[in-house]
Amino acid sequence: MSMRQGARKGSVVLGTAALVAAMAACSSGGGGDGDQIEITFLTQSDTDNVAAAEALIEAFEAENTDVSVTLETQPGGTEGDNLMKTKLATGEMPDVFHYNSGSLLQALNPDQNLVDLSDQEWADTLIEDMANVVSTDNGLYGVPWGSTQAGAVMYNKPIYEELGLEVPTDWAGFMANNEAILAAGTAVPIIQTYGDTWTSQLFVLGDFANVTAQDPDWAAEYTAHNRFYADDPALQGFENQQAAYEAGFFNEDFASALFDDGLRMLATGEGAHYPMLTGAGANISLNYPDNVEDVGVFALPAQDAADTRLTVWLPNAMYIPNTTEGDQLEAAQRFLAFTQSEEGCRVQTEILTPSGPFTTDACELPEDAAPTLTDVQAYFEAGTTFPALEFLSPIKGPNLEQITVEVGSGIRPAADGAALYDEDVEKQAQQLGLEGW
Amino acid sequence: MKTKALRRNLTGGVAVLISVVVFLVPFAFIFLTAAKSAQEASALDVSLPTEWFLWQNLVEVMQTRDYMLVRAFVNSTVLTVVSVTLMVVMAAMVGYVLQRRASRWNPLVNFLVLAGLIVPPAVVPTIWVLQTIGLFKTMPGMIFIEATFGLSFCILLFRAFVSTIPKELDEAAIIDGAGPVRLFFQVVLPLLRPVMVTVVVVQAVNVFNDFTGPLYFLPGSDNATVQLTLYNFQSQTLNQWNLLFMSIFLITIPPLVMYIFFNRQIVAGMTSGAVKG
Repeated sequence: MSMRQGARKGSVVLGTAALVAAMAACSSGGGGDGDQIEITFLTQSDTDNVAAAEALIEAFEAENTDVSVTLETQPGGTEGDNLMKTKLATGEMPDVFHYNSGSLLQALNPDQNLVDLSDQEWADTLIEDMANVVSTDNGLYGVPWGSTQAGAVMYNKPIYEELGLEVPTDWAGFMANNEAILAAGTAVPIIQTYGDTWTSQLFVLGDFANVTAQDPDWAAEYTAHNRFYADDPALQGFENQQAAYEAGFFNEDFASALFDDGLRMLATGEGAHYPMLTGAGANISLNYPDNVEDVGVFALPAQDAADTRLTVWLPNAMYIPNTTEGDQLEAAQRFLAFTQSEEGCRVQTEILTPSGPFTTDACELPEDAAPTLTDVQAYFEAGTTFPALEFLSPIKGPNLEQITVEVGSGIRPAADGAALYDEDVEKQAQQLGLEGW
Repeated sequence: MKTKALRRNLTGGVAVLISVVVFLVPFAFIFLTAAKSAQEASALDVSLPTEWFLWQNLVEVMQTRDYMLVRAFVNSTVLTVVSVTLMVVMAAMVGYVLQRRASRWNPLVNFLVLAGLIVPPAVVPTIWVLQTIGLFKTMPGMIFIEATFGLSFCILLFRAFVSTIPKELDEAAIIDGAGPVRLFFQVVLPLLRPVMVTVVVVQAVNVFNDFTGPLYFLPGSDNATVQLTLYNFQSQTLNQWNLLFMSIFLITIPPLVMYIFFNRQIVAGMTSGAVKG
């Protein structure tokens, strides 16, 4: 009996092993023919990114017949961040990938994982702000893909015309405009959409250029743990949000409204102001094509008009992981250089809806750009722009959006919220191993 | 007498009403949004579309990324069918042996089964293992992962159910001259049908709906499963709600059909093994 039991066990083990072997066998295969260099390009799977990537690949392959590019996609957001790190850690990153610049790039540990591109021809054409956010002390790692966007107040132009209002340059002027809109009663002065919590952060994040105008070293000192949100000038962003809530300027359903609701209200004139990233223009031109001309942009005003600056988000970039070698590396570098060529710029302007000026000398905005673009461009030409904090400091606490929802809903006073956020970032700074924390 | 019947009907009516609200309204919302134009859909309300775009949206969703959804349906079907089959066969065998034959290995096996439920799957080490044995980014690798994650739960169900089958049946079969293989496949396995249906349905829905598994262990556009295709239509700032909901609508149908057909067996199987441990 015991012999038979042994035999039985053995047959199960053998059967399993055979199954594994059979399955492994049918998975092998693949590879390509010798002449064609095959590279893979990874981007985020939303429609805009994919359409642009497909157009870019098509244009690239037409000019470089010896290379064939395969497109791969993955979700963005937190899930995407984890996936990027996983792929780099396991050596499975495709030959070229598209990802955020600034602090999220720093989190990928570029010195260790990416190929230095500072010897490429296009490296000198990047504007300084852009070069900074794709570099470390040891090298330049990315080529920008897409345009800048501003974190600013998007406003409904017809309402301004109807009520004879001027674009405000200081906070008092902004509040006076809100008062006038509220009195007229046709529209909500300020749109807030805390159903999508990330939209609540704009009062604070979009105010950062104003902070820098008052204290040029703020970002560096913040990283060194010498500046705090609980103190002026940075506290002002939280206080402004509280003041706007207390004045009753928000839409009634601000607590549950979604980002898409906010854009509908803005585009159709149900609301006058929406502090938002100008990348939202793409959404307006998709869903409200007739109202594109009705939406303008101005910088979130500082208390003093002299300090008002436009806070700018720099575009994402493309990178090459150092697992890419040989012919693939050479082809990947050609692919990146192609994005800065005339054809590459054409794809960036036609398919990726620009939301602000480009960050290289290689590309220019089209002449018939929407007002959201021309408004932003005006700030660039005047030189009154400044990058957002997330591009200057690796510190960004995970709970800012929850805190700004509380401040904007009157649950927590501004000073409290700012202090809580200072605590929130502490853990993250310690995780990053920054000095002074 | 009459009031009693009336009351019974009333309670029944209320129950029906509640289930309609809880189950059918979300489904109606999905269907209606899937039939709208992009503009109308972005309002996200329950209303009839002013113009029906059902067919256009369907075609557009299908064609996105070179018919990715079609490939995804094929992948998901293969993944679900094979991994669930594997789970059922393996778990039935383990559950049977574990329940019928006491040995000093049993505590260890029980511990491992429980460990399979308790220990969270770690992503990077799992990928390393798959890379070493050459199964990473392949369908068989993904099948094994799904089967492994589901196995513990299935073994517990099978073991509990086997205890309800009288031992005398086994003994009678052995006396009649059945070998171990014949005993298991011809005598015991047919008796496990109720719990098998439960396992099949529960695990099929699990595997079919799994998002993070394929996301991490099965990258590549050719390998996409249906849940991953949803991300083609959403991002932080730009959501195409009509296409997203059309995609959701298509993906919801297979599990829904399964539930409609197997509803009775699911409940029966769940409770039949639940009393005896």
